[in-house]
Amino acid sequence: MAKPKVEFCTSCGVHLVERGYVNFPCPACNAELGRCVSCRQQSNEYTCKECGFLGP
Amino acid sequence: MEITDKVVEENVENLDVNAEVKGSTTLVPIDEYLAAGIHIGTQQKTQNMMRFVYRVRTDGLYVLDIQATDERIKLAADFLSKYDPSKILVVSARQYGQYPAKMFAKTIGTKAMVGRFIPGKLTNPNLEGFYEPDVIVVTDPTGDAQVIRESVNIGVPVVGLCDTNNMTSNVDMVIPTNNKGRKALSLVYWLLARGIAQANGIPFNYEVTDFEPGL
Repeated sequence: MAKPKVEFCTSCGVHLVERGYVNFPCPACNAELGRCVSCRQQSNEYTCKECGFLGP
Repeated sequence: MEITDKVVEENVENLDVNAEVKGSTTLVPIDEYLAAGIHIGTQQKTQNMMRFVYRVRTDGLYVLDIQATDERIKLAADFLSKYDPSKILVVSARQYGQYPAKMFAKTIGTKAMVGRFIPGKLTNPNLEGFYEPDVIVVTDPTGDAQVIRESVNIGVPVVGLCDTNNMTSNVDMVIPTNNKGRKALSLVYWLLARGIAQANGIPFNYEVTDFEPGL
């Protein structure tokens, strides 16, 4: 897996090292977001620091 | 789907038609959303989807917030337009979602996998039809659970059309909508396709009816 563009999970702040994380641009403002495998699995909310978009 | 038709008529009067009063703009008129039954949920709801629920009817049916749906469709179209269309994968195991998904793929130039999803298509390079997408659109996170499971393995974001009864595990962007109705799915896919086409400068000459499967 390629090195993540964002190194920390946007929801919990953990290092994105474990397989299953994702990087994607914020749907509202293009800022790069990261989600770790646990936050994805538990559907934890994430907030874009740039625009305040609340996901998922 | 008998309930759906009945509820649409009932809710045309009493749902959130304040959007027009407030002067906000939606992708299509609110009446079209209501006619397609895009706001119709189920009698079950999950905690994940609670924030998209507008109200609960007396018979226990959860009704989705059309404003949230409209906003999410806009955002999802913008989000998907950031990716190369040939690297977008649309998946639908659900019968009513298959034709709209195929039309979506045809108009935008994405790849569609409809019907049964053979496990390993995203993870096993030796398998015929192996494909590596950059983003996945699923019609129903429950029905397309295998795709979502494989998306975790390959680390790609998932955009999901979620109804009130869906868990949003491993879904990175939720589009709250009725994902069971024929017209609702057609309208959502049509709006997404139109949004992406506009963002990418692709000519788009299709009507909603072109995305509707036959009965």
